[in-house]
Amino acid sequence: MNESKKRILEMLAQNKISTDEAYRLLSVLETEGSAAEDTPKAGTAARAKPKYLRVCIMPGSEHEHGGKGDRVNVRVPMSLIRSGMKFTSLLPPEARDKVTGALREKGIDFDMRNLKPEDLDELLEALSDLEVDVAGSDGETVKVFVE
Amino acid sequence: MKRPPMLMHVKIRGERRGFGLWLPIFLLLPLALAMFIILSPLILIAILVFWPSGWRKRAPLILRAAFEVFCSMRGIKVDVQSDHHCIYISAV
Repeated sequence: MNESKKRILEMLAQNKISTDEAYRLLSVLETEGSAAEDTPKAGTAARAKPKYLRVCIMPGSEHEHGGKGDRVNVRVPMSLIRSGMKFTSLLPPEARDKVTGALREKGIDFDMRNLKPEDLDELLEALSDLEVDVAGSDGETVKVFVE
Repeated sequence: MKRPPMLMHVKIRGERRGFGLWLPIFLLLPLALAMFIILSPLILIAILVFWPSGWRKRAPLILRAAFEVFCSMRGIKVDVQSDHHCIYISAV
């Protein structure tokens, strides 16, 4: 969009178009830009809020026929994750520092003090796009998704 | 505030036998309230003991968060099945 605006201004500077024409072109570009911005917002609003996090582990076909392998089907409400994560704000500062230190030792540079409730909501909403599908060499499949 | 789970379904199956239980959590809530009233003098003493350590502010928040977690358990489902064993837990 900026490229187009720049080109219009360059054309105006080179006297290829009049001021009125440049104004008209710029207003058309702005109208198109705002319409394009509105469309994804409407899509986000229409998207249903994720309710559950699902973890499914299915054994491979070899296991099914051989009678081995565990089937796991877990459904965790998102509200439970949200409430659980709220507990982090109730941790005493000393405990929080210990957790941050332990995470850093494992190579995860994450400070729990920076986790705010508004970030949490954003994070959980972003989870609606999450889909993990892992297929093992023995046919075992692991699926993590949000519904 | 969300409604707490009313029932919990627990099903455990072993190699030879198994059992299924419908636990009426809604019946446990009045019992928990009664326990809370009975234990309230002890809770009061605990609050007084921990008053200087700063836990007086944190304790009600923790209790509230714990109740919120309990209420959020509605809809949870854990189903693990192997060849001869099965564990199923769900809260409705």
